[in-house]
Amino acid sequence: MRSYLVIVLAGIGQLLAAAPVAAHHAFAAEFDAEQPVRLEGTVARMEWISPHSWLHLDVQKPDGTVERWMVEGGPPNALFRRGITQESLPVGTQVVIEGFRARDGSMRANGRDITLTDGSRPFVGPFGSGAPGDGPTR
Amino acid sequence: MNHRKLSAVIAILVSAPLLAQSPAPDDWAQPRTPWGDPDLQGIWRYEATIPLERPDHLDGREFLTDEEVAEIQRVEGELAANRLAGLDGTEVGKRTVEESPIRGNEYNSFWQDHGRARQVFSQTSLIVDPPNGKLPYTEDAREAADRSVARYGVGPFESYLDPDTGERCLTDGATIMMWQGPNGGHNRIVQSPGYVTIVHEEYHDRRIIPVDGQPPRGVPQWLGDSVGRWEGDTLVVETTNFLDKTNYEWANIWSRASDALRLVERFERVDSDTMRYTMTIEDPKTFTRPWTAVIPIFRLSDDTHIFEYACHEGNYALSNMLSAGRADAEKQ
Amino acid sequence: MGLRGTVYAALVVLGTHTSVLWGQSTDYAASRAADGQPDLNGIWQALNTANYDLQGHPARPAMALMPTPRSGEPPGTGRATPGALPAPAVRALGAVGGVPAGQGVVTGDEIPYQPWAAAQKQENAEHWLERDPEIKCFLPGVPRATYMPYPFQILQGTDKILIAYEFAGASRTIHMDEVGSSPSPTWMGWSRGRWEGETLVVDVTGFNGQTWFDRAGNFHSDALHVVERYTPISPNHLMYEATIEDPNVFTEAWEIRMPLYRRLESEKQLLEYECVEFVEQLMYGELGVIDPETGQRNE
Repeated sequence: MRSYLVIVLAGIGQLLAAAPVAAHHAFAAEFDAEQPVRLEGTVARMEWISPHSWLHLDVQKPDGTVERWMVEGGPPNALFRRGITQESLPVGTQVVIEGFRARDGSMRANGRDITLTDGSRPFVGPFGSGAPGDGPTR
Repeated sequence: MNHRKLSAVIAILVSAPLLAQSPAPDDWAQPRTPWGDPDLQGIWRYEATIPLERPDHLDGREFLTDEEVAEIQRVEGELAANRLAGLDGTEVGKRTVEESPIRGNEYNSFWQDHGRARQVFSQTSLIVDPPNGKLPYTEDAREAADRSVARYGVGPFESYLDPDTGERCLTDGATIMMWQGPNGGHNRIVQSPGYVTIVHEEYHDRRIIPVDGQPPRGVPQWLGDSVGRWEGDTLVVETTNFLDKTNYEWANIWSRASDALRLVERFERVDSDTMRYTMTIEDPKTFTRPWTAVIPIFRLSDDTHIFEYACHEGNYALSNMLSAGRADAEKQ
Repeated sequence: MGLRGTVYAALVVLGTHTSVLWGQSTDYAASRAADGQPDLNGIWQALNTANYDLQGHPARPAMALMPTPRSGEPPGTGRATPGALPAPAVRALGAVGGVPAGQGVVTGDEIPYQPWAAAQKQENAEHWLERDPEIKCFLPGVPRATYMPYPFQILQGTDKILIAYEFAGASRTIHMDEVGSSPSPTWMGWSRGRWEGETLVVDVTGFNGQTWFDRAGNFHSDALHVVERYTPISPNHLMYEATIEDPNVFTEAWEIRMPLYRRLESEKQLLEYECVEFVEQLMYGELGVIDPETGQRNE
């Protein structure tokens, strides 16, 4: 599978331009690409809001204390159209976050990669799940 | 996902109508509202791979060859299938930190709903006029556009004026609304006697367009002052009277609200799921001449929703940016 | 039977033939929309002081007031004490910042708060400037969007009725077809509508609990459930009723009721009130390195 994924034809890659919109937002304005973080914890609260959703994560430190981190995700509306709801990531779910820390050093990070501790990725439904917007009308 | 299933998925997903030659199937008739106007209602979104401007390496070429189209379709299909299969790690559709710490997919791509492959057309640019497929910027506007690209992600971010109007949860402008694409680019069209209303998901931008011959309001607005009329089965909308907000940062200089902007749009439903959307932009403060783009817009199934986009209410990102800016300043 | 009995009998007879709503007979039938249902298309506006305070209230100098000192002495035995004074932050507005009197729109004029919630409402009122979401241009929620002092437009489409509000560009889609429920809580709620005779009934749930009902600090939780009724009572008036329930905050359901007036100007269209831009200096001015108001560095 992976061998198919390299974009081979010269020039074709440039035609796969992202749809013409600046990729809001200015990541580097908020987060520091030189401060990668890896957080393991449990979901304390999930804010399914725009322009970015926010996952509040309880991270247990080796000394037993618990840190509360805020992790930024993308906007949730695409997930809603695939059938995800607020019940999909219940309080207490164990997750692993890989991302970058906030520039101001606070306990905030962008959730570049969110996985459940069993290795599966949340929010990815099976293709053809019948969720609204899952395919063309014809 | 095994290879056989993937092929089937791609076959179902990917179609490549050539917009330049897409006559409606013989059995398709323009649906009408109960009072007889063409019915454009539904959820619409731009889902194609055509860039706004013609890439330099395709200079002089208006269309791709069939082989080029097929190759793009193949790659799009694989990207889409792999996104859904959860294989969107660093190998797929996502640049590594080294390649792109700032731009591109900073998040798992499941946040975008490219559950379908994007549609592939043979047009090499959305811009069809000027014939070179490029934005006819004035010198000043070209400088502004270059500056906008150069400062993206770099800043400075010293006040709420430094992020662009979209990051401030204001708007990205009327020009981009119908075809903004990715997540949040959905539009719902609602028709009632005398009005065609477009509700855009991102920023909950909204345009209520009178089509009953009312004159313009004469009051300048961020999204201008729209007047619509039917020409045959095509909705023609002329929008003028934009507030001048060129003093702000804009994600796209070509979509900024300028008091010299005049936007003419044509909405033509060419089959049950496709609209040919043509826009002509005239703005002597930004462009040396008018320019026109032709954009295929796709209709989604009726059970698709536009969800609330309470951007300003949830805009932690803006205050976080400012806090980061202060932290950076203190370090210096 | 005597006169009183005759009158009483006549009233009973009347009551069984027509229900009477504020002196307006609800036998009025609006003109029909294209789908045969009542035509509510148009631009409408409430004309009352509900957005200041849902309950009856006298006029006063400002929304935000100084605490009023109490004198322990019998009145007149000592010197005059101040009345209600505007808080310094709003004093310069003078009479422009004042609150007009209103008779209230709550049936029975009482809002049945649980005891803890009544205290919370009081606290909200005392901290209005910091807490009212309207000040920050946040989406106003339902029913507040209906009676804010701006027009709104009802647009009846196929299977969807759109209500477009001028304030903050807020919109609601009322689903007239079968839909599921909201995937997550929102500011404007999730609206499902149906027709009951001449009345549009809208059932609204899925709120995030962050809106207020008015400037007086009346509030709710995310368990809020609103049922609205829009009934045409003349070509240019709707009667608007909303039943409000929230088991976390109130002891029982309560109701508000008000007429909505059609805007009759021949060329009336909604205009923008995009107030996010208006409040950025308030919300963010002092948060960055530089204050745009002065161009100077924030300390």
